[in-house]
Amino acid sequence: MKFLRVFVSPWLRDSEIRSKRIDRPHAWCRHSVALATACLLLVGLPAAGQSQSSGEGTKNSISASEDTVRWTFDNAPSVRVRKVLRADLHVKTQTDWRDWASTTDAEEPVFDLHRARVGVDGTFLKFFEYEVERELRDSSQPWRDVYVNARFTRWLQLQAGKFKVPFSLDELTGSMDLDFIYRTLAASYLAPGRDVGVMAHGGLLKGAVKYQAAIFRRGGENVRASEQTDPQSGRTTAGRIVVRPWDGRKGNLLRTLAVGTSFTAGRVPEGPYSLRSKSVAGDSLLKAFNVNGARNRYGAEVHWEPGPGAIQGEIMRARDQRRGQSIDDKDLPDAVAHGWYLSGTWLLTGEPRSGAVHPKKPLPHGFGAVEVATRIEKLTNAGLTQPPFTATPRAANLPQASDRVWTVGVNWYLNDFVKVQFDLIREQRELGGAVMSAGGRTWSRVFGLQFGI
Amino acid sequence: MRTRILAVLICLWCAAPANAQEQSQALTADSLLDGSQLQEIWIHVNATDWQQLTAGYLEGTYYPADLEWRGLRVSNVGIRVRGRFSRNGHKPSLRVDFNRYVSGQEFLGLKSLVLNGSWQDPSMIRDRVSMAAFRRMGMAAPRESHTRLYIGARREYAGVYTVVEAVDKAFLQRTLGEDSGHLYEYHWHEPYGFEDRGSDLDWYAERFEPKTDSDGSTANLFTPIKRMVEAINDAHDPRIEEVVEPYLDLQKVMTYLAVQNFLSQKDGLLGDFGMNNFYLYRFDATSRSQLIPWDQDLAFESPDVPPWQNMGANVLAGKIWDSPTLRAAYLSALVEVVRTLGTPTSGGGTCARPEGESPCSWLEQEVLYDYSQIRDAALSDPLTPYSPEEFERWVEFIWQFARNRGDIVLEHIGRLAPALPERVRPRSGASLSGSPRGPEGSAPQRPR
Repeated sequence: MKFLRVFVSPWLRDSEIRSKRIDRPHAWCRHSVALATACLLLVGLPAAGQSQSSGEGTKNSISASEDTVRWTFDNAPSVRVRKVLRADLHVKTQTDWRDWASTTDAEEPVFDLHRARVGVDGTFLKFFEYEVERELRDSSQPWRDVYVNARFTRWLQLQAGKFKVPFSLDELTGSMDLDFIYRTLAASYLAPGRDVGVMAHGGLLKGAVKYQAAIFRRGGENVRASEQTDPQSGRTTAGRIVVRPWDGRKGNLLRTLAVGTSFTAGRVPEGPYSLRSKSVAGDSLLKAFNVNGARNRYGAEVHWEPGPGAIQGEIMRARDQRRGQSIDDKDLPDAVAHGWYLSGTWLLTGEPRSGAVHPKKPLPHGFGAVEVATRIEKLTNAGLTQPPFTATPRAANLPQASDRVWTVGVNWYLNDFVKVQFDLIREQRELGGAVMSAGGRTWSRVFGLQFGI
Repeated sequence: MRTRILAVLICLWCAAPANAQEQSQALTADSLLDGSQLQEIWIHVNATDWQQLTAGYLEGTYYPADLEWRGLRVSNVGIRVRGRFSRNGHKPSLRVDFNRYVSGQEFLGLKSLVLNGSWQDPSMIRDRVSMAAFRRMGMAAPRESHTRLYIGARREYAGVYTVVEAVDKAFLQRTLGEDSGHLYEYHWHEPYGFEDRGSDLDWYAERFEPKTDSDGSTANLFTPIKRMVEAINDAHDPRIEEVVEPYLDLQKVMTYLAVQNFLSQKDGLLGDFGMNNFYLYRFDATSRSQLIPWDQDLAFESPDVPPWQNMGANVLAGKIWDSPTLRAAYLSALVEVVRTLGTPTSGGGTCARPEGESPCSWLEQEVLYDYSQIRDAALSDPLTPYSPEEFERWVEFIWQFARNRGDIVLEHIGRLAPALPERVRPRSGASLSGSPRGPEGSAPQRPR
């Protein structure tokens, strides 16, 4: 289930890009405590709905005009017009309490309502799916996924609109399905994120092989704001293929094993548009430097869900050309950034881990589901680890900057709608081969509360 | 004049072996800034950056560059457009920060330099001559020289620039013997001449930019300035010295005013629109401050103005002028300036004139020396907004100013105080026309 959701996540609900929150550190809402409380109160509503629904064994039909328009509440409020149209309303909120060490952000521990979204998705006619989602707290780029998907056959579907560039499993995972409060640094800063484009995708060999091939207007939103508005930004092509060799073989422990690879190829305009590299707390590891030419990314991924556990890992590499960017207008060596992570989770309450977690005994009738998770990751901007290096925008001898992060977390799924998370994060930031003198080794604690229907 | 200068240049070329010998010696900041020759500086900067720098000249954005001079190349310096009213994108004045991208990096012991494009000065020498005058009078003032500036990978000639020593800690250490005090750069906002603005420290903070300790508290940084201004306003004859001296060395202030008035600086401490173009340095662990001149490229305004122009428009200068004792001291300072800078006995060589060779004043010799050094480079300057004729005409004007200003100032003083010392009396029959010549009948020599 999760495999499907992850793979086709461009046409499912999607997530906030973490950097947008970090780029606006002062945007946290003073009323977020009240909002978080309201979210907790909302726990009762879907729980009650679940109870009623399970008791009756049918969907909860609210309206009586069954022949034409039906209002339902299964996992989300929904309206259906015969078989012509289905529209499901979705609401997502995420509130975090952060206590992290930041070298640039002197704020005290804060509550931050950094995700508040409403959206509609569904189907119309026979072949079409759609989704429209808006982030209420982002006035500059409020629209998230806005697309239409046409299902011609299982092996060929066409999707057009704004959605995520098919690169990086972690980036493509919806925010409500993340095993940790924050995405990996590699996914946050190396993957391109959303853009406007067209994509062909589908499944082959009874779904054992899935592919995505797309072309986008620009290079994604997950880049510097100045690059997004540069009129010289070029098109980006992307491709991803995921294989599940033992898919459908019941009883085989490896049936959920999926391996994949992906790439993007595009052009980055001339300017200080190097890919961002930041710490978990949002501190820049390296200042922007000039690039010009091709921007290519390559990635490989593995995902496996044996029983109540899950293992996931990725490696990504991004390469920016720096043509004509030296002081004397000559080419500089390409800028290379790479990242990797390996994570594991285990549901202590024994639920099978197949995509999204569904507690066996949700609140208020049970305790919900509890999961432990751990992750190790590293984001690196390749460079010199020994002086002399210089951090000018046109330097050939940039220092290597990296952040190695260990995360240990606990996830508590109260029911299908509410998730409470706690992550303990250890970072080690290095510049030029040495641990940074300020904020080099830090501990951070993050408490998250998610609500979604 | 061109013919005369050509002869001068030929003689200068004859002296080339001496220059070659000098090159073999260790290069220092003095080699760059002493003005002994026209320098050649090459700013290596990416073509796109230079285009953006000139197009966005109002932004003050730093761009990375390398600076090369006499085979020395310092990498990863930061350059940005500088200036206020003279700021432009055609021939921009530049600030070069050697430690912008590389912490602690210096070049010949300098942390930064200014390359002034002389946008407001058709002669291109007014600032340099003015600063030399201040230094000759024993005042702390930046060293300056001229350079041909080359830009970009193609080494395109960008014209004549004045290389100006930055007023920073290195400058303070060199000129005042300490750098642990508090340095401020004054920013003009409106006509202001030390009037008391009350207790609002923010008012001072907007005008006196801290340059050496910008992270200090507002109270620590600006209360001493407020107190100095209050003292200036509270001082009344005959206790002016007693009240003001703890904050300013009045003798030095009077010399500063005398130099600027002698040079007819209309945009200085007694500018037509209030005070402008100076730094204020408060010595460590004291309340006493010193004025340091900056951007004197609007000097040499008119040779005829009285050397006490705008004294009444400034509280401090007005009190000096209104006090009989201090006025006498000011006039003495003025006479000393004339004697040192503007009389034939002031250290210049000789100049050829229609009536024959006669001694030149230091100022006249300085003007001619600088002119002869930059003339060819200036006439081929591709970016200056002034025509060759304007350049020649302005240099001629400044030369005449230098020849006659001393006598004119003494005449003004004479009307106030007829009993002047013999050594500073005006020359009889001073002429406004003539030709400059060095002491050996050839090139103008560097004034001592």
